[in-house]
Amino acid sequence: MAAEKTTMQVTIVASDRPVWSGLAASVTVPASEGGMGILPNHEPVLVVVNSGQVVVTDAEGARHGFNVEDGFVAFDSNKLTVAVEHCSDEVSAEQAA
Amino acid sequence: MASQLAFKSRIASTESLAKIFNAQEMIASSHIAKARKVALDAKPYSDAISDAVQALVAHTHITHPIFKGEPGNDRVAVLALTADRGMAGAYTSSVIRETEGLLARLDQEGKHPLLYVYGRRGVTYYKYRSREVAQTWEGDSDKPGAEVAEQISKALMEAYMKPAAQGGVGELYIVFTEFVNMVVQKVRVLRMLPVELVQAETAAEEIEVAKTAPLYSFEPSTEEVLDAVLPKYIQSRIHECLLTSAASETACRQNAMHTATDNARNLIGDLTRKLNTSRQASITQELTEIIGSADALNKKEE
Repeated sequence: MAAEKTTMQVTIVASDRPVWSGLAASVTVPASEGGMGILPNHEPVLVVVNSGQVVVTDAEGARHGFNVEDGFVAFDSNKLTVAVEHCSDEVSAEQAA
Repeated sequence: MASQLAFKSRIASTESLAKIFNAQEMIASSHIAKARKVALDAKPYSDAISDAVQALVAHTHITHPIFKGEPGNDRVAVLALTADRGMAGAYTSSVIRETEGLLARLDQEGKHPLLYVYGRRGVTYYKYRSREVAQTWEGDSDKPGAEVAEQISKALMEAYMKPAAQGGVGELYIVFTEFVNMVVQKVRVLRMLPVELVQAETAAEEIEVAKTAPLYSFEPSTEEVLDAVLPKYIQSRIHECLLTSAASETACRQNAMHTATDNARNLIGDLTRKLNTSRQASITQELTEIIGSADALNKKEE
């Protein structure tokens, strides 16, 4: 149960297709004021995102990286939605950014 | 028998036409599945944006120009979504008819409409009539990607955000075709800008809003989030219009081609019947001639 509680639902959508969705333990997003880490049960927030890399650490601890461009991130009731104009397919988290 | 030959060649050409129509119909029906997939793929994004806009509306007092418009600006942008190719029945012509009606109505109201056209058929229609068109886009009208939507919404937002003195517009209308189902598609006029805001109407809703208001935090600031999200909202709405128009176009084309195939088959049936009649007539005539001449010969011998 404890493990379940520390995850959140993450959905990454680009303007022309859904990119990734699943449970995650933490997510870092390239917010316009600098990088921002989001953990489960974060307060509701709506953040503007510039270009950069979104890194999702899923429930098993594996890291998924996505190069995103121009969008926003909304977190509400333990659901994180990353909505961006353009999003690359999954790249290795250590790459670039 | 020249008429028989003529019938035969007409049947042959109608047959090849029927084949072309049939192929077009099949292409259109395969495109519909694709159009549906594109529309489904774009849905999560537009849902996310609508949710965000709803959160913004509920948590802030919005005084963004997108919601207010510019009083006193009588210039109006009209965007008509037409097809790139013909062979789609009345698709483009009904969009154009509706657009003309809207333009006339706006003229009557003393406004100055500016025309924006998407789709090659619409562009050539207005070019041929040398009408003034503010901006046009072509290509991919049956499978519009996010890029086209981005270009269009950028141009329109630019026109909208400019003050009237610099040629800005105060309103934006979109003429597009709604996909009701495979058989029914309806041309609709939508006022896209300024966005009509659904305000909290009752006191209870106000309290509800006030209760939830401090929960959301916006970064870097409410204004900047608004500035970033609202144009995206408009863009995703425009993309939605493009997608439903594309689905309608494909469905229209499939219907038109289906009717054309049926017509061609009927025509072939009619022509074959006429060919048979004329062949039978010629055979009968030949027989009468042979019998007649044989009779004449027999009579001579007697």
